[in-house]
This record gives sequence, C-alpha cells and structure tokens, in this order.
Amino acid sequence: MNARGFLETSTNLLDLFGYQFFQHALIGGIIAAVACGLVGLFLILKKEAMVGDGLSHTAFGGIALGLLLGVNPLLTAFGVSVLAVFAISYMRQKKIATSDSAIAVMLALGFSAGLIVISIAGGFNVEIFSYLFGSILTIDLMDLTLVSLLGLSVLLFIGFFRRELLSMVFDEEDSRIMGIPTRRLSMVFDLLVAVTIVLSIKVIGTILVVALLVLPGLCALKLNFSFRKTLLAAVGFSILGTTIGIMLSAVFNVVTAGVIVFVLVLFFLLTLLYKKLS
Amino acid sequence: MPQTIPVLEVQNLYVSRSGEPVIENANFSVNQSDYVGIVGPNGGGKTTLLCALLNFLPLTKGTIRLFGEDISKFTSWEKIAYISQSATSFETEFPLTVKELVSLGCIHKGNVGRRFRHEDWAAVDESIDFMGLRDVADKRIGQLSGGQKQRVFVAKALARKPELIFLDEPIVGVDSTAQERFYKKLSDLNTKRQTTILIVTHDLASVFCRMSKVMCVNKKVEVAQITSELDANLLLKRAYGEHFHFVFHRHECTGVFGNEH
Repeated sequence: MNARGFLETSTNLLDLFGYQFFQHALIGGIIAAVACGLVGLFLILKKEAMVGDGLSHTAFGGIALGLLLGVNPLLTAFGVSVLAVFAISYMRQKKIATSDSAIAVMLALGFSAGLIVISIAGGFNVEIFSYLFGSILTIDLMDLTLVSLLGLSVLLFIGFFRRELLSMVFDEEDSRIMGIPTRRLSMVFDLLVAVTIVLSIKVIGTILVVALLVLPGLCALKLNFSFRKTLLAAVGFSILGTTIGIMLSAVFNVVTAGVIVFVLVLFFLLTLLYKKLS
Repeated sequence: MPQTIPVLEVQNLYVSRSGEPVIENANFSVNQSDYVGIVGPNGGGKTTLLCALLNFLPLTKGTIRLFGEDISKFTSWEKIAYISQSATSFETEFPLTVKELVSLGCIHKGNVGRRFRHEDWAAVDESIDFMGLRDVADKRIGQLSGGQKQRVFVAKALARKPELIFLDEPIVGVDSTAQERFYKKLSDLNTKRQTTILIVTHDLASVFCRMSKVMCVNKKVEVAQITSELDANLLLKRAYGEHFHFVFHRHECTGVFGNEH
C-alpha cells in the first residue's frame, strides 16, 4: 500500500466510527471478546477447549431450528447448547463416555440435526451462512441487547467466582473438602460456556468460535504471568484481536471472522517468539 | 489436658474398593496434637484408609467420628486439610504464583463468591512465612523445586488454620535435605500450633525420629505410641511380613535431623 492508499484507509477507518452499524459491531465484538477471553482461559486450564468446539457445532442445530420456526436463532441455539452441555456432563459423570467422546457425539448429533432441518426447510440461502461464519457488521439492536445481557452474566459470574473456579481447576477434590460447592459451580460454568458461544455466534460464527475461546488464553499463558494478570491479558488479547479484526475487515471488506482469527494467530506467534526470547 | 481430646475415632471399620475388602476391622483413635506416620507395604490400603477418613469412600461397616461427630453428620470440613499424592504434579505452565495458590486455601463454605477479608490475607502471609516461602511468594509455582512445592501445598492447607492435616506421600522425588526441611516444618506445626498431623510415608526413619505415633496399615490397622520401649522391628514385621527387617537406633535421629529429640 502506498502512502496515499494508507492515508485514505485511515480516513475511512475514522469515518467508520461515525456509523451506527460499526459502533454496534464494535460493542458486540468487545462483549463477545471479554466473555470468550474469560471463559476460554478456564476451559484451557481445565483441558476442555474442545467443549467449546463441540458446543458451537451443536449450536448450529439450534440455529437451523430457529430459522425453520421463525424464532430468533440465537435463542434456539442457546437452548440446544444448554441441552448439549448437560448431556456431555451427564455422560461424563455416569461414565457412559469419556469427555472427548461425549463431545464428539453431541457435536455430530447437533450438526446433523441442523443438516436435517435445513433439508426439510429446503435450505435457508444466505442467512444460515451469517450464523456459520458470523456477521458482526449486520448485528441489530435486538441481538446487541441479548449479547450484552449474556455477556454481563458471564462477567459477573467469573468476577464473583474466579477464585473458586481456579481452585476447582487446580484441585477439584481439595476444593470440595474446602467447602466449595463444586457440583453447582461446575454446572453454572458449563451453562456459561453455552452462553458465551451463543453470544459469539454473531461475531465470529459457530465454526470459528473456538478460536476466540482458545487463542487469547493461549497467548496470555505464554507470558508467564500470575493468574490475575493472565486472566486480564487473555481478555486484553481477545479485545484487541477482535477490534483489529473488525476494523480491518470493514476497511478491506473481507469476512470478519477470518480476519479476527488471523490477527489472533499472529498474536499467538508473537507471544511464542516472546517466550522463546525471554 | 489437650493431648487426650480425640479428633479421630475409628471403630470396627471395614472399607472395600471394587468389592474387594481393603481395610478390615480397624480400631484406633488419634488425639489432638498427635503426629502420626502411616506406613505399610504398597497396596496395603493406606490411601484407601485416608479416603474413607475424608468421606471420599463409603464405609462397608463400622464408624468414623471426626471431632466427636459421626462422619455422616460431620460438616466442619474447614477444620481438616488434605494434601493428596498428586497435589504437587501440575502443569509447569499453570499460571499461579505461590501467593495466589496459598490464598486459595482461605476459601471456605462461608466466603464462597465473596471478597477476601483483611484477616484472610494476613493468614496467607503468615502461612507463607511459616513455611519459609517469603522469597518465592511471587514466583510461579511451576518454577519451584520439589521441596518448595511441598511446602507451598502445606502453606495452602495452613491458610485456613486447620486442626487436622492429612498428607498422602508428599515426598516423592525430593532430595534428603529438602525432605528433612519439610519434616522439620511439620514438626514445628505440630508442636507450636498443636495441629494434628497424619502423614502417609515410606520414610520409616523420619516416622520413628519425629512422630508421636506410628500407624501400620496392611488390611489390618495397628497404631502404636512411639516410645523408646517400642519394638519397631516387631511392629513393622506384622505389617510388611516376616522377611522385613528394620534396623533403627534412636541415636541416628540426632545427626540426621538435628538435636531436637
């Protein structure tokens, strides 16, 4: 890009902030980034990152159902993800299947349910793609309200119970003896994973939401910080990656989800380099 | 007489794992400020016994009373701390500083979801100082040596001021100097704070040098007060088998462990 091109791009970038659609996109993106950064770090530490992937694919079934019934697809996606998350923990607890197999079963079940619904409906044209790959630039006020409420619930829960969750991730047995209600907290946390995925669908889509869950936490872990700083760094990377991704995608008119993932992967490479050098 | 307050009473206890009897007809009691070494051959049921005492495993038969209350009705679990066999094996990348880990020990039923109070942070600092970890308080736990890790986990347990501590073989893979330092700290805890300690260990010399009681576990459980009259060899033979031979001279304790005994 030459100097004039760059200048034009920067002007465009500044202009963008004046548009309501862009403001909504940024707000929605930042909320999803905060929720994903927080929940994602715990998922990584629990070694359950793939729960995020499994649930987001299952949510696809819910989206298809919502489109078929004419209900807000985010609501049906939420319902289906919640069912899936409880099915996974039930299978795990009752030792019907190990964690990864249980996730695989629910992923396949949810996704195929979505395919069946789509074929019954005779296809949903472009609309389904906006949920598969995200469409943050088209987020409306109704979705933004839903995303904000869900995001707030994640923020409050992690804010109040981060210490207990950390203790459980570190040593569940000891946490139980200490008097932490491990069962109930695990259940609420699982529920919040579903919440986080649903609120991220508009931003990054069901297919790539796992990237927003995992990459910021991975970057933060490479910095060798304390837990508090790692959690803040994860949120920081997540917000930065999402914001830069949304801006670049708006300026260059490229699909947002892809750009966000690339920015986050770049961050990851940089943190790896930092770790190697330090 | 604080020494005669029973904190743990076990009567006619049978425990099974996967249908197989592991502990049979155990009868013993542990009093306040006892320091008990739990020894016995591998697979003899030491960990199973601990699990039963912590209510992780159902009892087949018998009774366990903790602080005078039947285990099924016992609710004051904050009085008890447990450091498991696997406690010190965690990912080295785990993002936790020593101080953060020790502070997790302050969580209890009454403050779940609440901010820590000033007293909680004071207890954290006190535990860190007591276990000699001040210099490494801000280090990540993955950067510590084996001996430091053990002490960190005890510091975490101490943060909520427990009256009874269970430790399950926390000294695997640590050199003898670090081991000695670890046992010294436990002795301090036992004598200065009257904390009751039950520790599963294979280090028989430490048991007979430092502790007040020895508990031999091999399906049967036998508890003996450690005195100069105790025939350690005879006692251990009953748990480990006739071929077992344990030579122990009390004077060996000085030299290895300093001269506190």
